[in-house]
Amino acid sequence: MKKILTVLAVAVAAVAAGPQADAQSRKALRINEVMVDNESSVVDEYGRRTAWIELFNSNFAPLEISSVYLTNDSTDHRRYPVPLGDVNTKIPKRQHVLFYADGEPTLGTFHTSFTLTPGQDNWIGIYDADGLTLIDEVLVPGDLQPGQSYARAHDGSGEWMVRTGSSDSYITPSSANVINDTNNKIEAFAERDKNGFAMTLMAMGIVFSALLLLCLSFYAIGKIGAAISKMNKMRAHGVDTADTASHSAVSHDSGEEIAAIAMALYEHFNAHDTESTVLTINKVKRAYSPWSSKIYGLREVPSHHKAK
Amino acid sequence: MSFGDFLYSNLVQFWELTGFANAQFGNFVMLAVGLFFIWLAIKKNFEPMLLVPIGFGILIGNIPFNTEAGLEIGIYEEGSVLNILYSGVSAGWYPPLIFLGIGAMTDFSALIANPKLMLIGAAAQFGIFGAYMVALAIGFSPDQAGAIAIIGGADGPTAIFLSSKLAPNLMGAIAVSAYSYMALVPVIQPPIMRLFTTKNERLIKMKPARAVSQNEKIIFPIVGLLLTCFVVPTGIPLLGMLFFGNLLRECGVTNRLAKTASNALTDIVTILLGMTVGASTQASQFLTPQTIFIFFLGFMAFIIASSSGVLFVKLFNLVLPKDKKINPLIGNAGVSAVPMSARISNNLGLEYDPSNYLLMHAMGPNVAGVIGSAVAAGVLLGFLA
Repeated sequence: MKKILTVLAVAVAAVAAGPQADAQSRKALRINEVMVDNESSVVDEYGRRTAWIELFNSNFAPLEISSVYLTNDSTDHRRYPVPLGDVNTKIPKRQHVLFYADGEPTLGTFHTSFTLTPGQDNWIGIYDADGLTLIDEVLVPGDLQPGQSYARAHDGSGEWMVRTGSSDSYITPSSANVINDTNNKIEAFAERDKNGFAMTLMAMGIVFSALLLLCLSFYAIGKIGAAISKMNKMRAHGVDTADTASHSAVSHDSGEEIAAIAMALYEHFNAHDTESTVLTINKVKRAYSPWSSKIYGLREVPSHHKAK
Repeated sequence: MSFGDFLYSNLVQFWELTGFANAQFGNFVMLAVGLFFIWLAIKKNFEPMLLVPIGFGILIGNIPFNTEAGLEIGIYEEGSVLNILYSGVSAGWYPPLIFLGIGAMTDFSALIANPKLMLIGAAAQFGIFGAYMVALAIGFSPDQAGAIAIIGGADGPTAIFLSSKLAPNLMGAIAVSAYSYMALVPVIQPPIMRLFTTKNERLIKMKPARAVSQNEKIIFPIVGLLLTCFVVPTGIPLLGMLFFGNLLRECGVTNRLAKTASNALTDIVTILLGMTVGASTQASQFLTPQTIFIFFLGFMAFIIASSSGVLFVKLFNLVLPKDKKINPLIGNAGVSAVPMSARISNNLGLEYDPSNYLLMHAMGPNVAGVIGSAVAAGVLLGFLA
C-alpha cells in the first residue's frame, strides 16, 4: 500500500509539473526587435508599411505561441491573443516571427489589435495563456527616428540598442540581429590556436579531471564500502569494535582459509568418493520437434485406382 | 512510332537506368574496397561483426544508378529507404543506442577495483588531440580536425556521433577509417608496445584485483554519469546511455532489459549502422584527396593513442610503490577498442611470461577508454559546435 501511495505521489507530482514545464519553454519567447515608424523597412502581405514587433524563440526546440497575448497596455494583458489553429504560430527553434502592429487583427494572425505610436514611449509585453504570467517586456523609447528600430544586441539576449539601418547598425526583421556568416568559435580557434596546442591542453585537462574525479570517488567509495562490510562482519561475529585482536581475526577469513577448512572437514568425516556400483537408467524425454518427425518423411503414396 | 521503335526506345531508356550505363571508375574502386572489407572479415576474421555490414554497405552504396532519374533509391536522396535508415547516422542516434548496449555488456569491476587505471584511459586520449594538431598542420579547419581526430579514440560510434555534428561531409570517410583501424588493432598495437617497453617491464606481474561488491557496481554508473556529465554535459547522449545500460546490467532487477540492450538491440543497431555507414561511401563523396588524409590521420591517431597509453604507464610507475607497479603492456588498452586491445595486452603478456594473465587488468583502462573517448568527444563538441 505504501509503495502504491509513493508511486501515486510521484505520478501526481509529475503531472503537476507538466504545465509548468510547458510554461518554462514559453518563457523562452523573447521580444527581439521593434520598429515603431516604418519608413523604408519591410512591407506586410498587403504591401503596406506598418510598425512591427519581432519575436524570437530562444529555445532549441519549436515553440507554439498560439494563445499567448501581445499587448501595449500594462493594465490590459489580454489585448491581442495570438489565434489558435494557424500552423505558422509554431516557431522553429532559434527562429523569428514578425507581428504587424497595425490595429487590424482581421487581416491575419500576424496583425495585432493595437498600434504603436511614434514620438512617445511604447511599452510592449507578452503574457502567457493565463493572461497573468509576464513572459517578456520592453519599453521602446519615444525618441526613435522614423526608420529606426529598437533591437537586442544579440538574438534573445544582450542590451537593447537603437538600430539606424546603416551597414554597421542594420535592421533585421524576421532574421538574426547579428548576421554571422561563420562559426565564431571555430574562427577563434583557427585564428588563435593555429597549432592546436591550446585545445590539446584544455581538452586533455578536462578529460583527465573528469576521470581523476571518478577515480578519487571510487577510491573513497571502495574505502567506505570496505569499512562498512568490516563493521557488518564484526557485528555478525558479535565483536566489539574496540577489540583489536578479534578485529584482526575477523578480517582473516579469506577464501583460501575457508577452502582449507572445508577440505579438512571433508577429510575428517572421511567422505570419500566411492562408487555405489548401482546403475540407474533414467528415461530421457525428448521434446517433440516436427522437423525430425517421420510422418513428414514417410508420406502415404497416393493410391491409383484403375478405371473400370 | 512502329512497334519496333517503341521496343527500342524503351530498352534504350531502361539501359540508361542500369548500373552498366552509369558506372564510373570510382564505383569500381569502391566496390573493390567493399569486397576487400568482406574478405578481411570472412577470411582474416578482422572484426567481422563490423566489416561484413560495412563492406556489404559499400557494395550497396556504390552500385551506379542514374541519380537524375529521381528514383529515390540513393542514400542521399531524401525519402529513400536507405536515407531513412541513414537518419540514425546523420542525426546521430545510432551511436547512443550502441553505447546503451556497450554499457549493458561491460563489466566495470576491473576499473572499480583499481580506479587508478582510469588515468590510463585518459592518457590514451592524447591520440585524439595529437591527431588534431597534425590535422590542423595539414590544413583542415578546427571543426574538421576535431571530427577526424576522434578516430584516435578507437571508438566507431563516438567517431560517427562527433563527425555527424562537426563535419557531416567527412563522416563516411571518418567512420570507415575508424572501423578499419579498429579491425587492424592487432596489427598496429603490438609493435608499438614492444618498441616502448623493456623486457623487464613486460614481465611485471600485477596483483589480482580485489572483489567488488554489488553495491559498488550499482553505484558506479550513477556516480559515473553524474560526475562526468557535470564536467562535460555535451557528452550526455553517449555517457548517459553507456551508464544507463550498465545500471540495467548491474542493478539485478532489469535482467530482461539488460539482455535486450546487450543482445537484440545492439545487434539490430550494429547491422543498420554498419550497413548505412558503408553505403554512405558513394564514390563521388568518398574518393577525394581528403579521404586519403583522413586515413593517414586516423593511422597517426591510433599510433599516438597506443604510444601515449604505454608511455603514461611507464611514467606512472615512477611514482608507484614497487609492489603496485603496472605492467605497461596494458597501456595500449587505454584506447576504447573493447575488448580487442585488452586481449592484445593479454596475449603479449603471455608471450613473455606464460603465467602472466593481464586480461582483467587491461579491461580497466579499456573501459576507461570508452568513458575517456566519450568525454573527449563531448569536449570537442563543446568547443567547436
